[in-house]
Amino acid sequence: MKKISCVLLFLLIGASITWAAGTKKRKLPPYEFGSVTINNYSQQSGMPPVVFDHWIHRQYYTCRLCHVDVGFGMSAGATKIRAADNIKGYFCGTCHNGRTTHNKKAVFDSCAKEYSREAYNSRCVKCHEIEKSTLKEDQFFKFAQNLPKERFGNGINWEKAESEGLIKPIDQLEGVSINKAKLKIQPDFALKSKVEGMPEIIFSHKKHTVWNGCELCHPEIFMGIKRGATKYTMIELFEGKYCGVCHDKVAFPQSDCQRCHTKAVQ
Amino acid sequence: MNTIPYGKTSKQLVLVLSFILYAFLTTAHGQESWRTDFDETCARTTDAMSLSNNELKVLIAKCDQLQTIIEKQEETVRKVFLKRLQMCKNLYVYVLESKSASEKTPK
Ligand code: HEC
Ligand code: HEC
Ligand code: HEC
Ligand code: HEC
Ligand code: HEC
Ligand code: HEC
Repeated sequence: MKKISCVLLFLLIGASITWAAGTKKRKLPPYEFGSVTINNYSQQSGMPPVVFDHWIHRQYYTCRLCHVDVGFGMSAGATKIRAADNIKGYFCGTCHNGRTTHNKKAVFDSCAKEYSREAYNSRCVKCHEIEKSTLKEDQFFKFAQNLPKERFGNGINWEKAESEGLIKPIDQLEGVSINKAKLKIQPDFALKSKVEGMPEIIFSHKKHTVWNGCELCHPEIFMGIKRGATKYTMIELFEGKYCGVCHDKVAFPQSDCQRCHTKAVQ
Repeated sequence: MNTIPYGKTSKQLVLVLSFILYAFLTTAHGQESWRTDFDETCARTTDAMSLSNNELKVLIAKCDQLQTIIEKQEETVRKVFLKRLQMCKNLYVYVLESKSASEKTPK
């Protein structure tokens, strides 16, 4: 009896919250989830805006490598990447420089001051996208077909894909990353929801640290120094704060309630 | 006819050259050394919780020193490394606060 009322409560609150916060958002097709349009300077200098896809990159690299070591910000456009930065070998140019190899092939170069029409058509437009390419969609479905499925987001269970060894994102880049001390992880913990009867959330400090690194979360996203002292609300999460910095944009979205609210109520 | 005091010029030349060489070496070395300092200073974000309050304070002070050096670098280096330095320093400050707070409230 108690259990049933909890489930009902869960669904009821769920429906109202999704209704309140979700009406603004449209559901993206799986190949567009995690895609970021960067356009601080492109259009104003006559180039099409840049489209960066997380699904292409996160199969090869950890979030930590790009967002801590390369220095990309955690919201679209925040990094203020300039063509000159890429040319000097930073940001996209850390890898896209025509020299760094990946699968024994050189990764294509990024921006240039002088270039031929041919280079424009074969190279510039890979990033400075003129129009949505159906080729990329095809590549996505080919890539996704062998990976464990998930209902939301990219439609891929990235965590499982990694734990089953189907993808092996690298975490260190020579000359860019620091040789760090051995990782000492923080204990995992349960976050109690302040609404009576909501299933608790098990937050894995360990998994998140391996993916993201401590400094990506503390204190920028989570400044509370005492666990459980700050109460987060689902509305704040939907607004893109706290867990919502990553979940909804790149990591699995918040519509997947049960993936976070897992622990049964006592 | 002007006779060039050959000996004097070559001495000056050597002097100028060695000065250039010296300047080159020190800037090259200077660059190297702040990068090494940066790498060493920010290598402990992975085990920050096992550092003592004192060790954390020393690292935070080193971050502040590095900041003044990085602020003098060219634009892109400044943009990238000030961001990286900030993330690393702020984590040390966070961990220090967290540890001090838990020491004050015995469980
Ligand atoms: C990314 C993980 C995550 C997902 C997905 C998620 N939640 Fe939450 N939820 C949280 C966290 C974290 C809290 C805050 C716990 C605290 O500190 O009180 C929370 C709190 C809540 C609360 C109580 C606080 C409040 O907002 O008033 C409700 C109700 C809730 N969630 C419902 C839902 C529903 C319904 C869904 C699916 C639409 C959902 N959650 C999906 C992480 C998540
Ligand atoms: C190859 C590098 C790379 C990897 C790997 C990577 N990111 Fe990103 N991420 C970026 C770039 C570039 C941006 C855009 C930054 C900008 O516009 O200033 C970005 C933006 C974001 C944003 C903001 C998106 C938005 O729409 O506002 C989030 C959230 C994010 N990344 C999370 C992650 C997570 C989580 C992972 C790991 C699963 C990850 N990233 C892996 C490069 C990367
Ligand atoms: C850590 C290394 C790394 C960084 C940083 C990085 N990339 Fe990539 N990117 C790769 C690799 C590796 C591939 C796959 C290359 C291949 O298939 O030839 C790739 C592929 C791509 C592709 C797909 C090209 C195609 O059509 O096949 C695009 C577009 C792209 N990156 C854009 C970007 C942009 C924009 C940035 C900066 C905002 C960026 N990347 C930063 C490593 C990186
Ligand atoms: C690996 C991805 C990538 C490739 C390939 C690439 N660019 Fe860029 N480029 C970027 C990113 C990211 C930005 C920053 C976008 C923004 O904020 O508008 C940028 C910005 C620019 C800008 C804006 C001006 C400025 O000062 O920042 C110009 C012009 C430019 N690129 C030219 C080119 C040309 C020409 C080519 C082909 C020779 C090219 N890019 C190829 C990623 C790329
Ligand atoms: C994905 C984000 C994320 C990462 C990565 C992460 N944490 Fe946390 N951390 C949290 C959250 C969420 C809390 C709970 C905050 C709250 O309740 O207000 C927390 C709490 C803490 C606390 C508070 C004290 C306590 O009671 O546990 C400390 C200290 C801490 N983390 C240190 C670390 C360290 C050190 C690392 C790296 C080894 C790390 N965290 C990695 C999200 C993260
Ligand atoms: C810095 C980015 C980031 C933040 C912040 C973040 N996550 Fe995640 N989380 C990820 C990534 C990346 C994954 C891997 C799965 C994916 O990408 O879909 C993940 C996976 C998970 C999983 C599934 C793995 C597991 O442990 O069972 C849960 C549950 C989860 N997150 C809960 C949370 C909660 C709750 C919060 C807030 C307290 C949070 N996350 C904050 C990036 C983040």
